[in-house]
Amino acid sequence: MARVYISSVISASAEKVWERVRDFNALPRWHPAIADSRIEDALPADKVGCIRNFNLQNGDNIREQLLGLSDYDMFCTYGILESPMPLTDYVATLRLTPVTDGQRCFAEWSAEFSCSPEDEEDLVGGIGTNVFQGGFDALKRHFGE
Amino acid sequence: MVKVIRSTIIDAPVDEVWNVIRDFNGHDQWHPAIAISQIERSEKSDRIGCVRRFRLQDGSELREKLLTLSDMEQTFSYCLLDTPVPLFNYVAHVRLFPVTDDNSTFWEWESRFDTPKGREDELAEMVGENIYVAGFESIRAHMGMEAVQ
Repeated sequence: MARVYISSVISASAEKVWERVRDFNALPRWHPAIADSRIEDALPADKVGCIRNFNLQNGDNIREQLLGLSDYDMFCTYGILESPMPLTDYVATLRLTPVTDGQRCFAEWSAEFSCSPEDEEDLVGGIGTNVFQGGFDALKRHFGE
Repeated sequence: MVKVIRSTIIDAPVDEVWNVIRDFNGHDQWHPAIAISQIERSEKSDRIGCVRRFRLQDGSELREKLLTLSDMEQTFSYCLLDTPVPLFNYVAHVRLFPVTDDNSTFWEWESRFDTPKGREDELAEMVGENIYVAGFESIRAHMGMEAVQ
């Protein structure tokens, strides 16, 4: 299994950041790489099992299924159903944890997946940099350093 | 049960922070509340089940048992065996996580315990501030960092 792990500190309370990222259909509102998104079959975006169907700015289409969502522990787990990337069994988790000594929170975004060895470095680097770190950088810009 | 949790960001790589705090018998080197630490029966301090005996600055003594130690997860947990303060069924967890985008460390320290009725808030505050937050500050000082706030 290939593994990606990116973490960051965002200058806002975990509750505030969670408000921005918990909506499984909200990627275009906060993530710069995503152009548009919809939930299939008109399901609510916080119904576990729902599928988001979204397009990247570069035109790629991806379908992801919500596997777990917790407002108490502030995490969201999802898997890829279809994507142009040469990988399978992709499961990712975005998690927020309060930092008690200031108005800031610890954000983690991790994924595991299978792929052929020659693709692994590019996939791990691309997902880590463009998707995960790109998302955290956008949150940092939004909430201020 | 009372639950106490404190967390902070330490401006150093996670491996460096772990190197300092992983020694279950080394907390007298950096924590201001602890005068002397010893492991009973000459056990190694990374042997699960070993018991450390602390003498605090005020002369009182307490004993704590190592329950978990993981170099991979960079966590350890321990429980109180004997204490001058009425903390019962006390189990604490220390966890470090890397902040990958600036090479710093997220440090979480939490515990659960029972106390006599009416003393919950007072003892939760004492544990959270005098032990955990004071520990964060003294690690910063120990590692040559400036205090936060």
